[in-house]
Amino acid sequence: MRSTLQQRLLPLLVPGLILATWFAVTSGDDFTAQVLVPPAAVLDSFNELLASGELADHLRASLSRLLLGFGIGSGLGLGFGILLARSALVNAFAGPFFQAVRQVPSIAFLPMLILLLGVDEGFKLAIVAKAAFFPVALATHDAVKGISKGWLEVAAIYRLSPLRVLFRLILPATVPPVLTGLRLGLTRAWIVLVAAELMAAENGIGQMMEMGRQMFRIDTVMVGVALTGLIGFALDQGVRLAERRLVRWKAV
Amino acid sequence: MNAIIDPRSVQADSAPAVGGLAIRHVHKGFDIDGRKLSVLEDVSLTIAPGQFVSIVGASGCGKSTLLRLIAGLERQDSGDILLNEVPVAGPGLDRGLIFQDHRLFPWLTVEQNVLLALSNSDEAATDKRARVASLLTLVGLDGFAQAFPHQLSGGMAQRAAIARALAPQPQVLLLDEPLGALDALTRLRLQSELQRIWLAQRSTMIMVTHDVDEALFLGDVIVVMQPGRIARILHVPSTHPRDRADPALAPLKAEILSLLHAG
Amino acid sequence: MSLIAEFPPTSFVYADRIEDHDPPPAWLVALVKRARGLVLPLLLAAAWHWASSIDASMAYAFVPLDQVWERLLQLLSTGELAINAGSSLGRALTGLALGGLSGILLGSLMAGFPLVERLFGPLLQAFRQVPPLGWLPLVGLWLGSGEEAKQLLVAVAAFHPLLLNSYEGFAQAEKKHLEVGRVLMLSRWRSFRFILLPTALPSILTGVGQALAFAWISTIGVELLFGTGAGLGSLMHTAQMAGDMGVVLLCVISIGLMGYGLNLILSLVRARLLRWRVTG
Ligand SMILES: Nc1ncnc2c1ncn2[C@@H]1O[C@H](COP(=O)(O)OP(=O)(O)OP(=O)(O)O)[C@@H](O)[C@H]1O
Ligand SMILES: [Mg+2]
Repeated sequence: MRSTLQQRLLPLLVPGLILATWFAVTSGDDFTAQVLVPPAAVLDSFNELLASGELADHLRASLSRLLLGFGIGSGLGLGFGILLARSALVNAFAGPFFQAVRQVPSIAFLPMLILLLGVDEGFKLAIVAKAAFFPVALATHDAVKGISKGWLEVAAIYRLSPLRVLFRLILPATVPPVLTGLRLGLTRAWIVLVAAELMAAENGIGQMMEMGRQMFRIDTVMVGVALTGLIGFALDQGVRLAERRLVRWKAV
Repeated sequence: MNAIIDPRSVQADSAPAVGGLAIRHVHKGFDIDGRKLSVLEDVSLTIAPGQFVSIVGASGCGKSTLLRLIAGLERQDSGDILLNEVPVAGPGLDRGLIFQDHRLFPWLTVEQNVLLALSNSDEAATDKRARVASLLTLVGLDGFAQAFPHQLSGGMAQRAAIARALAPQPQVLLLDEPLGALDALTRLRLQSELQRIWLAQRSTMIMVTHDVDEALFLGDVIVVMQPGRIARILHVPSTHPRDRADPALAPLKAEILSLLHAG
Repeated sequence: MSLIAEFPPTSFVYADRIEDHDPPPAWLVALVKRARGLVLPLLLAAAWHWASSIDASMAYAFVPLDQVWERLLQLLSTGELAINAGSSLGRALTGLALGGLSGILLGSLMAGFPLVERLFGPLLQAFRQVPPLGWLPLVGLWLGSGEEAKQLLVAVAAFHPLLLNSYEGFAQAEKKHLEVGRVLMLSRWRSFRFILLPTALPSILTGVGQALAFAWISTIGVELLFGTGAGLGSLMHTAQMAGDMGVVLLCVISIGLMGYGLNLILSLVRARLLRWRVTG
């Protein structure tokens, strides 16, 4: 009994120590508020941002950019991935260029897109869409390519109707890898959106942190960092949940 | 040390005085979800130095457990296991173990795999390599020293595993269904090779097998196990090298089979 | 390579009759097939060039290609491209080494000692959720926008993939292999060197690949966002401020090529180290 309690509490030890040190260090006045503020100040700042509705505005801005850009990018990625896998012509003409552009990290396109589209919403949507497009297109391509010929032959032997083949074979075979691609795309889209907002934005979590940095508001920045992590985590877990529900037949 | 390896330099009847085993009243059980599962109950067995012992028995009756106890990988709950009158405490180079799956390290070449077994010896590196080379010759793997395990057939991999187990010159070699995963033809060939190696080495060998013919072809003594206990110990009157069609083996085979069906 | 192997015998028998419509040689067919991949980029380049010729405001965004070429020659002759590329490369590799090695160390400790895993696992898991560049404002406040800040951020980016992959690699060491080590009486060091490390190596190398990608992305990201010092990201930042699309374009291409090159080197190393695998 006692040992299981110890086991339970063990993971809390290090975070607890860090928190205690943080308390201890900030309770004296060795530190200026520009370097570290007490945990309570961060919490206060969070409550303040929440009460004023400021936080909600930033969140809304970031998440709507993310969802819209991701929707566009992943939709195009799905379509392009299928084309790339099914059409030899598309593969011959667009494949090499696709592979080449894929080598460039999304973040490197930020300055180019700013010069082309300006610093308004356009470039943020474009970069988010770009970040989502490639992993989704790639996963879709691989998934469609990966449908085993053997299974299709089995379907032919049993004379399954095309609809059966679609629902019983093609979708179950392709959905899991495509979902993985979508998850990767969503994560990358979020990472690059934060970067884009740090660079140039009127609102959004990234802009909130960047303002905090410029005004030496460490509490705001810390709230931002925590939220960035939390949102990334929630997005990832959300897609994983969908994966688990849709792909129950697969051994985990 | 090629005396160990070259069959001609060892007289077939000059059995070494080391490698005798005494197993006395050994009990062993495992905890499964808090419940005690008794696997060996009061097992006693005496094995003379240089003997070839075959162990047969139904699946799950505790054969592997017995070998793992002798190897020192597990510890008995009670009773004694003595090698040369000294209690066994943990693994040791005086006992070698060959598993059913060859368990070669896939990231090492055949030569490196065997060399690793010599890492406790303080011979010069060139001597070690020479010894590995003659061991590979003994098991018929000349020219495969630099191959990786995945480039070998199942039979070749099992031979490499035999070479690795022989490398530290164990007094007792424990073989847990060493040929179980092989096809029938390779199996027959390797049985003859095992016999040749045993005649060359004259170390004590204890082999678990599911194949009664194999047990009879190789063993001086056949131990028939039923779940948790030794049902009978049979002595094979025929000498080595042995003829598979030796008529003296037929009644023994019938007896073993009836014991196995009864268990 | 013999000619006979390349041509079916019939082309010898009827050689003089079919001479004028001989099938094109295989290499030419392959070349033409490959060249189809160039059509799209060339079309895009042409469209770009055409856009630049519409009017001055378009030429600002879509720089004429000859101007891009001039910029390239200029960057090469002043050594600017080499200096900035070298600086980025050094930063990425240093970050990979610092962050990666600590990741491997901690990952192996966590796999080997459940206590370490229980103490640090949940905390690291929580930290991992923040995207590497999400730390930038905080690190910027603490360390400024100099080299330490950049290096730390790149190291953090490389840390997590290697922590995770080396943990998984070491944790999957198989009992059956460790048992052989016990039977052969291998010392602790030898068990580590010959059993644990090789078992974990494929996973660790996968981690190195991921960490390399993360380190490269983060290097460009921190340079771009801080905009200080040397580096392709900083060069791009300055060019963007100056509205110099030519240099921005060249930076993008260099970043892609370098990332590709790094990956290629790694895959060669990987193939060499894992040649014992069936697939390798
Ligand atoms: N480490 C273990 N933990 C729990 N139970 C075990 C363990 N090892 C063996 N057992 C149990 O002990 C019994 C005997 O196992 P053992 O492997 O010795 O059988 P065996 O005679 O070698 O069988 P087979 O011919 O199938 O190899 C089995 O019921 C097995 O489930
Ligand atoms: Mg067994």
